Amino acid sequence: MGTARVIFDRWDGRYAASMSEVRSSAVRDLFAAASRPDVISLSGGMPDVRRVPHDLVQRAVKQALEHDGATALQYGSSEGRLALRRIIVGLMSESGARATEDDVVVTAGAQQGLDLLAKVFLDPGDVIICEGPTYVGALQAFSAYRPRVECVEMDEHGMRMDALEETLKRIGPRGAKFIYTIPNFQNPAGVTLSADRRRRLIELAREYDIPVIEDDPYGRLRYEGGHILPLRALDPDVIYLGTFSKIFAPGLRLGWIAAPRPIRARVLLAKQAADLCGSAFAQAVAERYMTGTAWRRVLADLTRTYHTRRDAMLAALTEHFPADVTWTHPEGGFFVWVTLPAHLDTKPLLAEAVERGVTFVPGSDFYPAGRGSNNFRIAFCYEEPEQIAEGVRRIAEVLEDKLALYRAFVDAGAMPALAVSGGSST
Amino acid sequence: MKEKIAVLMGGRSLEREVSLRSGERVFGALQELGYRAIALDVTPELTETLRSEKPDAVYIALHGKFGEDGTVQESLEFLGIPYTGPGVVACELSWDKALSKRLFAGEGIPTPRWVTFTSDAFKEMGAASALDLVPAAVGGFPVVVKPTKQGSALGLTKVETAEGLPEALLTALSFGDAAIVEKWVEGTEIAVSVLDGPEGPEVLPPVEMVAKSGLFDFQAMYTAGETEYYCPARLAPEVLRDVEELAASCHILLGCRDVSRVDMVVDSSGRPFVLEVNTSPGMTETSLLPMSAAAAGIDFARLVDRLACSAHGRAR
Repeated sequence: MGTARVIFDRWDGRYAASMSEVRSSAVRDLFAAASRPDVISLSGGMPDVRRVPHDLVQRAVKQALEHDGATALQYGSSEGRLALRRIIVGLMSESGARATEDDVVVTAGAQQGLDLLAKVFLDPGDVIICEGPTYVGALQAFSAYRPRVECVEMDEHGMRMDALEETLKRIGPRGAKFIYTIPNFQNPAGVTLSADRRRRLIELAREYDIPVIEDDPYGRLRYEGGHILPLRALDPDVIYLGTFSKIFAPGLRLGWIAAPRPIRARVLLAKQAADLCGSAFAQAVAERYMTGTAWRRVLADLTRTYHTRRDAMLAALTEHFPADVTWTHPEGGFFVWVTLPAHLDTKPLLAEAVERGVTFVPGSDFYPAGRGSNNFRIAFCYEEPEQIAEGVRRIAEVLEDKLALYRAFVDAGAMPALAVSGGSST
Repeated sequence: MKEKIAVLMGGRSLEREVSLRSGERVFGALQELGYRAIALDVTPELTETLRSEKPDAVYIALHGKFGEDGTVQESLEFLGIPYTGPGVVACELSWDKALSKRLFAGEGIPTPRWVTFTSDAFKEMGAASALDLVPAAVGGFPVVVKPTKQGSALGLTKVETAEGLPEALLTALSFGDAAIVEKWVEGTEIAVSVLDGPEGPEVLPPVEMVAKSGLFDFQAMYTAGETEYYCPARLAPEVLRDVEELAASCHILLGCRDVSRVDMVVDSSGRPFVLEVNTSPGMTETSLLPMSAAAAGIDFARLVDRLACSAHGRAR
C-alpha cells in the first residue's frame, strides 16, 4: 500500500560542492511525482524499443555467448572491442565522417562521452560554447566541472553563425575550451544546422582555435530532406559523439567518441579512471546484432514509425495550437520546440497541463539560467499518433486560456502583436 | 513518550523544494524534543496515511498552494486533527493579497496603493484598454506586479514604465487568475513575525532584508549570500514600535492563530506599509521567522515546540 511518508537525506551537507550545481529540473521532479497512468507523456525522449524484435536481440545474445563467451564475460580493453570499433567506423563512413578504429573509444552511451570530454577539458570557470537551448544531459554533465556556458542563438537553420562569431570575437582566440553542437535535429529545438553553416562553423572554430564537439545521436533518423555531411566529414579534428541508443537500444548503454589521437589518449585515461572498461558483453551483443541480424530493416521500421508520429504531431499542432504560438519543423529526430509570446511563463502552465493529463518540458530546463521561460519541448517519439494528437489538443486548451489574455492586451493596443503568427519558426 | 506529530511538507506547489527544507528542519527539531515525529508528503495517499497513523497533531510545513490557502486546513478540520498555524478563514484571507489589502485599507492599516486585475477582466471585459489609468490610480511608477495568490515572490516583477506593465501582468497571470499592481515603496524591507502567547500576540524583533540585486525575489530569498539580514531591523525606536503594533493589528484583523509573518516596507520618512501576511512562514536555514525568534531568545527547537504544543493543545 502507498504511503505519504517522506525519507530524508541525513548525509546532506557532506557532499562535494562541485556537485551542487548539477541539478535535475525542480519543475520536472514535481510532476514526475504526480504522473498518473492516464497522462500522455510528450516530455521524454525515449526511443520506442517496443519495436525492436526480441528474437533478433535474443539471437545476438546467443551468438555472443556461443562465439565470444570467453571474452564477452571478461574485462575488456578501455577503448572497446576492436570488432565493434570497426562497425562504428563503418557507421560513420556511411554518414560521410572519416575515422579509423584507433580514433574511437567506446563509451557507456554518448552521455559518458560528454562527461569524459568535460573531465578532460574543463577547469572551474572555463568558458564553453553551446547552442541555446541545448541538451539538458549535456548541461548536467558539464556542470559538475563548473564551466561558464555561453549560449548561441539558433533559427530554423540551426546555430546562427553571426551570433557565434559575435561570441567568439568577444572571448577571443582560444577563449573557450570547446564548442558543443548537435547539428542534426537538435535536442530540444528540432532544427538542423545547414550545410553552409557547417562549413562556416568549421572555419570559425579553426580561426579561433577552439575544438568542436559534434553530438549526433539522431543523424540516421531523417524523415525528409537530404542527408547533410557531418562536421567531422569537413574536419578530422572534430570530436564526434555517436550512440547505439537510437539505432539499436539505449538499454545496452553503448556510444562512442571519435577524436584526434592526442585527445583520444586523454579520453582513454579518463575512461580507465572512470570505469576501467565498458561492458564487453554489451559490446559483443551489439557486434552480433549489427552483423548477424536485419538491423537495417528494424531501423527502417523505427524511422517510418517516428516519421508517422512526427507528421501526427505537426498536423495536430496546426489543427489545435492557437495563433501567436510558433513551433519548429524537425526534419528528423524526436523533438518539436514551441515558442509562446514573450512573458508567458510555461513553468506554471505545466501544472495545468498535468491536471489535464499531458506533460511537456518547460523551456528553461534547456538553458543554464534565466532563459526559455516562454518555450517548451514536446517529443513525438514514444506515443502513438492518436495519443500525440490528443496530447497536443490538451496542451492547446491550456495555452488557449493564456493566449486569450495575451490577445486582449494586443487588441487593446497595450502590446505589440507578434511579428510571426502561427506556423513554424524558432 | 510525547505526542505523535505528523509534519506535512513538500506538496505540489512551486515552493515544494523550500517546503521540504522547512519540513526536514522541523522534523529534526520535533525528534530532538522527544515527540514521535513522522514526515508526510502531500500525495494521493495522504488522507489514508493520516487516518492510519492517527497523529495527535499536524505541523504544517507546507508553503504555497494547498498548504497556505486553507485547503489542507479544511481537510484537517474534517479529519478532526489539530494543526499548527491559522485556521481556514485566516489562511484564505492572507493567501489572497487582493482580499487582505482591502481589509487593511478598510481598517486604516497602511498598505501601498494598488489595483487588482483578474484574467477575466482582460479576456472578457477589455480591461487592457484602461491600463493607462493605472499610474494615476496607484500614484505613478515604479510599481510591483504580482499574482494575488502565490508565495515566495514567484511571478513578481518590478516595473519602471508604462510599457512594461502588460508584460509584467502576463507573467503574473501565468501564475494565477488575478494579479495586483502595487505602488513600489522605496525603503527598508522588513518581516515582522508574530507568535501567540498567553497574553495575546507577541511580536518578535523585525528582520530587515537587503537583497544585493535590489529586489527580494525567489532567487534572493533562497540563495545563500544573495541577501543580507539585520535583526533587529535598523530602524528608529519609535518606528520599531509602530511596526510592532501594526504587525499585531494585522495578525488580529485576519484572525491569525499561533503564528504569522507580516511583510512590510518602511519608507524614508519612517512610515511603514504592510505588503502581505504569511500564515505558513518558512523554516529553512535562511528563513525569517526562525531568525526573529532567535533574536528574541527563542531557539529553533523551542519555536517548533511552542507551535506543536499550541496545536495539540487544541485536541478535542
